[in-house]
Amino acid sequence: MSDSENNPAFNYAASVNCMDQRPAAQSQIEGLSPLHHADLATVAKAQLGQAGTIQLSELKLLGHIILRGNLDNPGFTSGVQLTLGMALPGTLQMVSDADISIRWISPDEWLVVVPGERSYEIEQALVNNLQGHCAVVNVSGGQTILRLEGEDVQKLLQKSVPLDVHPLSFPIGKVVTTVFAKTQAVISRTGNQQWELVIRRSFSDYVWLWLQDCSAEFKLVISE
Amino acid sequence: MAQQNRLIEGGRIARDSVINFSYNGKTYPGFVGDTLASAMLANGIDVVGRSFKYSRPRGIVAAGAEEPNAIMQLGATEATQVPNVRATQQELFAGLVCQATNGWPNVEFDMMSSLGSVGASVMPPGFYYKTFMYPKSMWNTYEKFIRKAAGLGRSPLEADPDRYDHYNQHADVVIVGAGPAGLSAALEAGRSGARVIIADEQAEFGGALLHSKQSVNGMPAMAWVASVVAELAALDNVMMLPKSTVNGYHDHNFLTIHQRCTDHIADRAEANVSRQRMHRVRTKWVVLASGAHERPLVYGNNDVPGCMLADAVSTYINRYAVVPGKQLVLMTTNDGGYQAAFDWHQAGREVVAILDTRSYQGTETSAVIDRARELGIKVLTGSAVVEVQGSKRVSAVSIASLNSQGDQLTGPVSQLSCDTVASSGGWSPAIHLSCHTGSRPVWSDQVIGFIPGDTVQKQLIAGAIGGTFDLQSCLAQGTKAGAQAASNAGFDTNLDVAAATAESVAETTPMALFHIPHPKETSRAPKQFVDLQNDVTAAGIELATREGFESIEHVKRYTALGFGTDQGKLGNINGMAIAAKSMQKTIPQTGTTIFRPNYTPVTFGAIAGRNCGELFDPKRFSAMHQWHLDNGALFEDVGNWKRPWYFPQPGESMQQSLERECLAVRDSAGVLDASTLGKIDIQGPDAREFLGRVYTNAWAKLAVGKCRYGLMCGEDGMVFDDGVTACLADNHFVMTTTTGGAARVLEWLEIYQQTEWPELEVYFNTVTDHWSTITVTGPNARKILDEVVDDIDLSNDSFKYMDWKAATVMGVPARIFRISFTGELSYEINVQANYGMRIWEAVMEKGAAFNLTPYGTETMHILRAEKGFIIAGQDTDGSVHPYDLGMGWAVSQKKPFSFIGKRGMAREDCVKEDRKQLVGLMTAEPKKVIPEGSQAVDDPKQAIPMTMLGHVTSSYYSACLGHSIAMAYIRNGHKRMGETVYSPQADGSAIEATICSPIFLDPKGERQNV
Repeated sequence: MSDSENNPAFNYAASVNCMDQRPAAQSQIEGLSPLHHADLATVAKAQLGQAGTIQLSELKLLGHIILRGNLDNPGFTSGVQLTLGMALPGTLQMVSDADISIRWISPDEWLVVVPGERSYEIEQALVNNLQGHCAVVNVSGGQTILRLEGEDVQKLLQKSVPLDVHPLSFPIGKVVTTVFAKTQAVISRTGNQQWELVIRRSFSDYVWLWLQDCSAEFKLVISE
Repeated sequence: MAQQNRLIEGGRIARDSVINFSYNGKTYPGFVGDTLASAMLANGIDVVGRSFKYSRPRGIVAAGAEEPNAIMQLGATEATQVPNVRATQQELFAGLVCQATNGWPNVEFDMMSSLGSVGASVMPPGFYYKTFMYPKSMWNTYEKFIRKAAGLGRSPLEADPDRYDHYNQHADVVIVGAGPAGLSAALEAGRSGARVIIADEQAEFGGALLHSKQSVNGMPAMAWVASVVAELAALDNVMMLPKSTVNGYHDHNFLTIHQRCTDHIADRAEANVSRQRMHRVRTKWVVLASGAHERPLVYGNNDVPGCMLADAVSTYINRYAVVPGKQLVLMTTNDGGYQAAFDWHQAGREVVAILDTRSYQGTETSAVIDRARELGIKVLTGSAVVEVQGSKRVSAVSIASLNSQGDQLTGPVSQLSCDTVASSGGWSPAIHLSCHTGSRPVWSDQVIGFIPGDTVQKQLIAGAIGGTFDLQSCLAQGTKAGAQAASNAGFDTNLDVAAATAESVAETTPMALFHIPHPKETSRAPKQFVDLQNDVTAAGIELATREGFESIEHVKRYTALGFGTDQGKLGNINGMAIAAKSMQKTIPQTGTTIFRPNYTPVTFGAIAGRNCGELFDPKRFSAMHQWHLDNGALFEDVGNWKRPWYFPQPGESMQQSLERECLAVRDSAGVLDASTLGKIDIQGPDAREFLGRVYTNAWAKLAVGKCRYGLMCGEDGMVFDDGVTACLADNHFVMTTTTGGAARVLEWLEIYQQTEWPELEVYFNTVTDHWSTITVTGPNARKILDEVVDDIDLSNDSFKYMDWKAATVMGVPARIFRISFTGELSYEINVQANYGMRIWEAVMEKGAAFNLTPYGTETMHILRAEKGFIIAGQDTDGSVHPYDLGMGWAVSQKKPFSFIGKRGMAREDCVKEDRKQLVGLMTAEPKKVIPEGSQAVDDPKQAIPMTMLGHVTSSYYSACLGHSIAMAYIRNGHKRMGETVYSPQADGSAIEATICSPIFLDPKGERQNV
């Protein structure tokens, strides 16, 4: 019905509500990650210096922004390039530059992860720079990222994910959104033995339990 | 005498590692490298169980997965009990404890022998159907004893302490079976660089070579196996899985492999080590090299302990250095069977005679006959064992000569003394996995067996599964299949590569013989067993065909042929041949039953993997969950969410808690964690149009800053979800859904957008987990909000009912929705979930002065029922449309495009007069709460079946109103206000109630508009 790409009067930024969702910098209110209750920091302190075959750390309280748009719409793709300084990654690809990463999620969906304190600034810039029919959605409160590193991570993933995680079919830079045990995760290989899982807040306790259980035969060490 | 049947040398056993095991309470020695069966035979244990139906003593017959009798109950403790373990596949370990499964009260004394010995006339096939089903009422009594006497093992009464897990694997080529063909295939596929998995059910790779005296590449066969295994082990791309049974071959080359990781080590696995592992394998190509099972011959009393398969005898002698008897009579239809006699002879025991069922002309002879005669073994050609004597062990056999077709005896019966009868009727290819894929097996007269038929899978076969039984051909086929599979999967291979070489032996044609004739007709002869595990006899199969069961599937079900835990690996072909002969048909005409997964039994532990206990089902938590735990909440499961149900205080009953929470909300203020409700961010120039199509009401004019309630219907016009959607900006909305319906609604929107209305520009994104929602409700809600909201005017004039506003709550940006599910003044504070807990705590702290009371879902249910608000899924069941609910006000029939459900709810049945409609019920006795689900009737004295009017969907005691309230569907209820109905109860009473509006409290909505 609408054809906003070919409608010069259409102004995406004016049609949506984009709000800063973080407290002012001087506020005393702290953000609590979905795994706050697991108190990983204390475990990490206790395990400081230990070597594990699986090293787990939470990349918490980052800015998570979902981008929806059409790759055929130059007003969308060039707006992303302009704002983030990099092009949208292709199918099943993840790109990153300094402290910003973009994960391909589906043919019209990407996840942009940015430092927490810059999330509003970048969200707003995206909203302002994108043209045509698209969507920018802040989902920072709804998910967190776990980084897993070590020689046994691939085996752990084999126990959790039906998809093939062998380097031949899951090279560095690949990202998939897939079944993880009985929930889902956005899984990317960020190094030969390094992986990142983007998991949902409400399922994070389940994932944490699963990872501990799954690692029972390996050596799991938590790090900050 | 310990291990009296053990040879002093030979075998693949560690003689310096003597280990003890317990069988039926008695301790025996064995060696590392034994199976439980080989150790039992070494110790001269003849009887390992009692038969299923006749309770006859049974001994070990086979040496592998096909064993029908030696089915053990394993486990040293109650928690580690494992039923139905085949002794022939269980590796011996120190401290193994087992008991015979079939043999209550014990294997040596049989309670049912009186039945069994009287014979077939007492327990014919279909016996259970015919006898014990009548009188039907007695079946429960009979069943207990028969099941127990029959014995199929028992499950443990305590929780399994062991860990089982799943492993996902991906491969280019999966090879099933590590015999000569499988190993050759693995070698070629592995060398190509393909990702290869080779799995074998045995403890060691080698298959039939493990007990073979043949040579490969000029070296002993097992030396060749060792060299292949060493080469495979050095290849990173090859995974070797011994002790791993490929139990299922599913669609799209998905295979399930059951690996027994520690079953050979101890009764229990060590902590954190998986006892068993289920590999879930997806592969490009499959090579089936699963071999073949030797087929026994069917003759009288062929179940007496001491009757064995010929190749099993060779296996016990060569692999385990166990000779399972003293005097052997061998009966064979083929050259291969002779090997058992040669091995027996070489072990220094007496071979009484070889009975070759084939007829030879004049002085005609063969290589194996010549060899037997050289060794001084008597060979009787054209002869067969017709009957065995003995009960707990063979003591003698009756033999007779046979015509060349094998269907008539041609000479007198004579006797031979012996304690062991080995028989070989040829080999049945192990086509089970091929059958799993739906491929129909094909009969081959040359193979005398069924071989895999055409398949839709990317699958090759090699070796004995295809009816190729000589070693050289197996090696060649394996090599070729391995190279071909790798090539098909995209790897460079030499398809003409030479295979390992073995000596080729010329063989005399085997004879197709299944059932040895007896001087008496089959029905009067001693029992000739076809399926040992289920006590199916040749006479039983003939009787079944005479009774009119012509389809082999019916014969199978009537006789129970192939029904056991062994799935008829030994008996099926013989049974089909006997049925075919009885019906004067050929075997291809009769056809075959096919196999389904699993090839051998799989433990429930391996099937469940880690999906048990805490990990059985994910639990979803809101950001405030820890607070709920700390404050004593009880929880209700809503979808996968754990929602606070109510917050009992010390000493309170549930009802007291609910009344306190309800009154607090009505009198001052309550707070609810509403974070679990589904939240969907909707953006796009056509978002508004889309909402108008999926909701029943109008959305075109909803202004920015406003909220609206909507009903969502299926195409049939029936309500499936509801919720409030707020207009955040011109093209930007946030929709709320029920907690349990969130995923379904998002999917519903996506399906309609992607498949029906792709021209609408709109995007949907879930933000359920992103926002924490804190509902503050009650007459003092505004005062509490005043305390925590930093920056906006909360007065009724500026922040109206059904408005939303951006605000700052205790320093955190929020969206506040002034919507109400309680009928009270209500604000739903939404903050990013990372701040949910801290804001909740702040609200609680500031609300304390107003007795701000946390409440849960049960209180929420009462509060909304007082207002007549429905809960989709409780007050709807997929059969009610908005008008049934009395919510026609939420349907706009004037929308230009139509909406989902518009036509559905206009169907004839949907607009008829006397539909069941949602109404309120007030009981005559104010304290009486009608149980939910109760029926309503006009006349409680009417004879059953009464005329039903409808049923109660929601029912509570309302502390606020001082009487019980209920919501119910009543036929034509909207026109029956004020009338009396009755709700009959199970105890014979009937609860009287008056039909009323479901809005019990504040019908004008004044409390929420202050």
